[in-house]
Amino acid sequence: MEDKKFIRPCTLIYFLLLGLTVTTWFIGTQGLSGLQISLLVLGFALIKGQLIGDYFMGLKQVSGFWRWPVTLWLILVGSLVTYAFMISI
Amino acid sequence: MCIIRLIQFWTCENRETIMEKNNWPPGDLVIWFFILAELLVFGVFFAAYAFTRANNVELFNEYQLHLDRNAALINTVALITSSYFVVRAVAAIRDDNSKGCFHWLLAALFMGVVFLVVKGMEYHHHFSLGINLSTNTFYMFYLSLTFFHFLHVILGMIILLAVALKARSGGYSAAEHTGVETGASYWHMVDLVWMILFPLVYVMR
Repeated sequence: MEDKKFIRPCTLIYFLLLGLTVTTWFIGTQGLSGLQISLLVLGFALIKGQLIGDYFMGLKQVSGFWRWPVTLWLILVGSLVTYAFMISI
Repeated sequence: MCIIRLIQFWTCENRETIMEKNNWPPGDLVIWFFILAELLVFGVFFAAYAFTRANNVELFNEYQLHLDRNAALINTVALITSSYFVVRAVAAIRDDNSKGCFHWLLAALFMGVVFLVVKGMEYHHHFSLGINLSTNTFYMFYLSLTFFHFLHVILGMIILLAVALKARSGGYSAAEHTGVETGASYWHMVDLVWMILFPLVYVMR
């Protein structure tokens, strides 16, 4: 019997990732634009990245130094992209 | 403290025991240094795209509309599904189920093939229209960014294939499956990067 405590959350996360992906795609197909829409879509992407890091990569179970690189990368990339989109207006 | 833990890790015969005690990330530690380096490179790429776009908003918005968002959706679903299958493969080997691990990895590889085929069709479409790196700044970023990621998908699939073949031959067990977790960590990184690339290049405008 596979570890259900490990698989169940990952299965839920999988469907959540699919939901956020389809939402992002839908926004894209509607041709919606603007800073607020872009930041909303970026927010979805950062949440998806954190979920992959926490649950698929297993970093949620890690403490200390290795808990944070993926999160810090997402914050850094998210901040830079946000700033670049803000100055583009 | 961190250095002491590193020494403990490298000098210990059973690394998994150390990993459980000290909460090291899954897989061989070396892959995590590699992952951090890869994330750094992709991060620079993403920032370069965003800041270049800031000075060429109209150009980027115009040519972004020419991209196939449906293909991007299929590819995103393929990578997420593939990552989930790899999670199942890790769970299977933790349960000492080598056969299950092998089959989940094959399923993950199949989704990787789906990604490559769909992306290849996108490239074929662009190249048939005469689009290349020098067409304009947007396509320079689009083609180089996505092809750089494309190569990482291929490398990830080679790693997963090697892990799958070793799993099939009984090379992993519940007690020792560092190789499976190492390959899985790399594959999840490839997935993670695409989660940013997809909205940044295909949707945000």
